[in-house]
Amino acid sequence: MTGTTWQRLKSDPLGVGGLCVVVLFALVALCVWSGLLGQGWSEVSGERWENASSDHWFGTNLLGQDILQRTLFGTATAFEVGLIVTACSTILGTLMGALAGWYSHSWLDELVLWLKGVLDSIPFYLFAAAVAFALQGNPWAMHLAMIVTFWTTTARIIRGEVMRIKEREFIEAARAIGLPGLVTVFRHVLPNTFHILLVQGSIVFVAAINTEVILSFLGLGIQDGVSWGLMLAESSQEVLAGHFGNFAAAGGSLFLLLMGFNLLADALQDALDTRRAIR
Amino acid sequence: MSTPALAVHDLSVRFKTGADSRHAVDGISFSIDAGEATALVGESGCGKTITALAILGLLPDSGVHVESSAIEINGRDISGLTGSRRREVLGRDIAMIFQNPGTALDPVFTLGRQISAVYARHCGGGKEHIRQKVIESLEAVGFSQPQDIAAAYPHQLSGGMRQLAMIAMATVCKPAVIIADEPTTSLDNSTRAVILQQLERLRTLHQTAILLVSHDLATVRQSCQKVMVMYCGRLLEKTDCESLFSHARHPYSAGLLSCIPQISDTRPAMINSIPGQVPAAGEFPPGCHFAPRCPRVESMCNQSVPALDTDKQQAVACFRPL
Amino acid sequence: MNRRYITRRVLYGIPLILGVTFVSFLLMVYFGPDKTYELLGKNPTTEQISEVRRALGYDRAFLLRYGDYLRELVTLDLGLSDSSGEPVSVILKRTLPVSIALVLPGFILGNLMGLALGLLAAWYRGKWLDKLVMSASVVGMSVSFLVIIIGLQILLCTPYGLNLFPVRGWQVHDLGSYLYYVTVPTLALVLVTLGYNTRFYRAVMVEEIERDHIRTAQAYGASPRELLFRHVLKNSLIPVLTRIMFSVPFVVISGSLLLESYFGIPGIGLVTFNAITSGDQPILKAVVGLTGVLFVLALTVNDMLYSLVDPRVAKP
Ligand SMILES: Nc1ncnc2c1ncn2[C@@H]1O[C@H](COP(=O)(O)OP(=O)(O)OP(=O)(O)O)[C@@H](O)[C@H]1O
Ligand code: SF4
Ligand SMILES: [Mg+2]
Repeated sequence: MTGTTWQRLKSDPLGVGGLCVVVLFALVALCVWSGLLGQGWSEVSGERWENASSDHWFGTNLLGQDILQRTLFGTATAFEVGLIVTACSTILGTLMGALAGWYSHSWLDELVLWLKGVLDSIPFYLFAAAVAFALQGNPWAMHLAMIVTFWTTTARIIRGEVMRIKEREFIEAARAIGLPGLVTVFRHVLPNTFHILLVQGSIVFVAAINTEVILSFLGLGIQDGVSWGLMLAESSQEVLAGHFGNFAAAGGSLFLLLMGFNLLADALQDALDTRRAIR
Repeated sequence: MSTPALAVHDLSVRFKTGADSRHAVDGISFSIDAGEATALVGESGCGKTITALAILGLLPDSGVHVESSAIEINGRDISGLTGSRRREVLGRDIAMIFQNPGTALDPVFTLGRQISAVYARHCGGGKEHIRQKVIESLEAVGFSQPQDIAAAYPHQLSGGMRQLAMIAMATVCKPAVIIADEPTTSLDNSTRAVILQQLERLRTLHQTAILLVSHDLATVRQSCQKVMVMYCGRLLEKTDCESLFSHARHPYSAGLLSCIPQISDTRPAMINSIPGQVPAAGEFPPGCHFAPRCPRVESMCNQSVPALDTDKQQAVACFRPL
Repeated sequence: MNRRYITRRVLYGIPLILGVTFVSFLLMVYFGPDKTYELLGKNPTTEQISEVRRALGYDRAFLLRYGDYLRELVTLDLGLSDSSGEPVSVILKRTLPVSIALVLPGFILGNLMGLALGLLAAWYRGKWLDKLVMSASVVGMSVSFLVIIIGLQILLCTPYGLNLFPVRGWQVHDLGSYLYYVTVPTLALVLVTLGYNTRFYRAVMVEEIERDHIRTAQAYGASPRELLFRHVLKNSLIPVLTRIMFSVPFVVISGSLLLESYFGIPGIGLVTFNAITSGDQPILKAVVGLTGVLFVLALTVNDMLYSLVDPRVAKP
């Protein structure tokens, strides 16, 4: 990221706000991972469905567990899912997109496009169910399903960019020197798409967190630990009886984090001027 | 003296960028008589297209500030018109031909639909009457099979044919004024000649006043009676074509002329191509905008702005004209 | 329409259909759970085992089994549900209309409102109205579908809110009862799609509004209404149609999956949800395979619609 980009990002109040929210949640996740916060998420520390109090800021759940602790721990889960899925699908998408773009209109390109077409044709939740079905209770089934479907958008964007950059002179120069094709891609082309990956990455992150919630509700998501999705699934039974703790805490955190990421992604897109590529 | 078909008084356009605003067009005035073709020439970025759009009132209403004391068509001021009052004028009293016929027409409607929409909007009449008028106007620009052209989509025609169809659209309501913004720039030489010929014919036929925006001095000499030289949003020389080509008074005009080979042969070569670049809007020097590139510059040129001496037959804005 | 163009589109769809069915076959049939032992009693003999495996087709070659799966999908002879024993095709035939009735109003409203808001924001781009609409759509995009559903339920269906609509169920027999049961799911669907739709449609419309030919129409006195509803809309029909066609299977399946399992509505989503939780393979493999195939078909039809809408595609 260049200095001017940073300047532009800083002059966008909504973007800065989004960044602050994301950083705040990321800090919470870090604290959870290093054992400073949220460690009591599975402890029974009160009666069932206690109201909010100074001991339990959001009250307790059905089992008497503290909802605040579970929300904090859920932050770490959200980041874990988001980071793993974003990292893996970005790497996969970049590789596939770079290959397809560099060897555009070859059989390799056709193959990648076909694979993308196939994966894009299966409604995502069904695909996740199918993966879960094939892996039979594997805790990584959800991550895998998301990675295998989310790379396609990144690949499409990178393919387009690689095809565009390929025409430029310095690539011609690299070819003239005799650098082999793939080395040229990784040394010269991919660094030029970094800004696009950054924006697309934050979009994938949002999608991953959002999807975890739905999959967890469907019983296809997180299996050990607690997540905002599981808390919301829990709350779907409780709200009818007037217990809103889980709903407010998990729904509110989810909204804040997603909003932060969406604002950040928008501001990044403006600051890095990548709208053309992403659409 | 009769009323001119188009009279522009003191037209200025400013672009607001952040806190400051910059002039893209700076207080220009001119008039064109019926049946007369006037050229507006100048280097790229000098404000020709902006001038044309400002006359029609097509500039966006935010970020741009357009000012003028009057813009008259046959004596009627249209500068204050807004909304439907302005739309009534556009296409009926004044029409515009755009530079790129490839993108200027709607790809999903036939040419017949697009031209008849203009005629129906302004002149009305029954379906059959409108169709007749559309066919007539296509015939008038030289199409021998006007029905086929009317039924065609823009992508089915060549660039030159599209531009002819555009001219048919501009003339279907027989407006008093036509502004043609570089109508031939994107076309090849032979097509260019056809387009100019048709414009010329329609001008004499309907006594239309034409403002021809162009880079191409050869074109201008061939098809216009008057010519205005524009630089950095100002008119530097305003005269009839013959005077300009036989004796340009402004150093910038002389520079432009010397860029055309066969003309520079007949006069002492002063500047073969004009050195330096057009300053971007907002970075204009305080005095004469041409001073940084002018071979005749003297100290006075940098202090105040020379005004166009409109009382002369061959008006120039220069302290030391040739 | 151009026959060669259509043929090319159809041919292009075939590898996609093969791919989609192959993926579902791999995941759910080939790597799917082995049902041999569920069907056997205690201490089965080797003969019994191999007999059951033969009956289930497990001993057949890989490609033959894929062929079997394709044949099932084509003939709609999809076997019996593991949990209810009912033929899968009968279950699908019964539940699909319910799902369509459930998601259709929300789907249409979500797209129409998105289109209208997108057009409005594009026309006033850069002005406060645009900023308002766009900020609202970011907020909309940040609320999870599940949160919207639960929130609407609290607000509209419980004594903690207005308590106007049923908490769950689907006892539909006339228009009144239809509206009674469909309102809350429809609102949820509209809210969850509106933000994304508005943003998408705005981007499309801005691109169209900035085209040269719009300025030409303006220069010839076209009114804003003509510009928007004649030139902009007709030109943007292709991206708009594409988005709508693309999203049909997703909204029908994904939308109904969540809405029906939450509100207990007996449509295809609930059937799928139950199949997911109980591991009912015949239903799952039918639903996944069929939606994939339907999606590819929708894509192909969509490409053909292009040529009706856009003269440039029809006559090359
Ligand atoms: N939206 C805008 N904001 C700021 N400045 C602008 C804007 N549009 C045009 N300009 C400036 O106005 C000046 C005049 O532009 P214009 O398009 O009229 O040039 P032109 O003479 O038609 O050039 P060309 O021959 O290339 O068509 C240019 O210098 C340009 O930088
Ligand atoms: S006023 Fe001076 S600088 Fe400007 S054109 Fe005339 S001589 Fe040159
Ligand atoms: Mg121009």
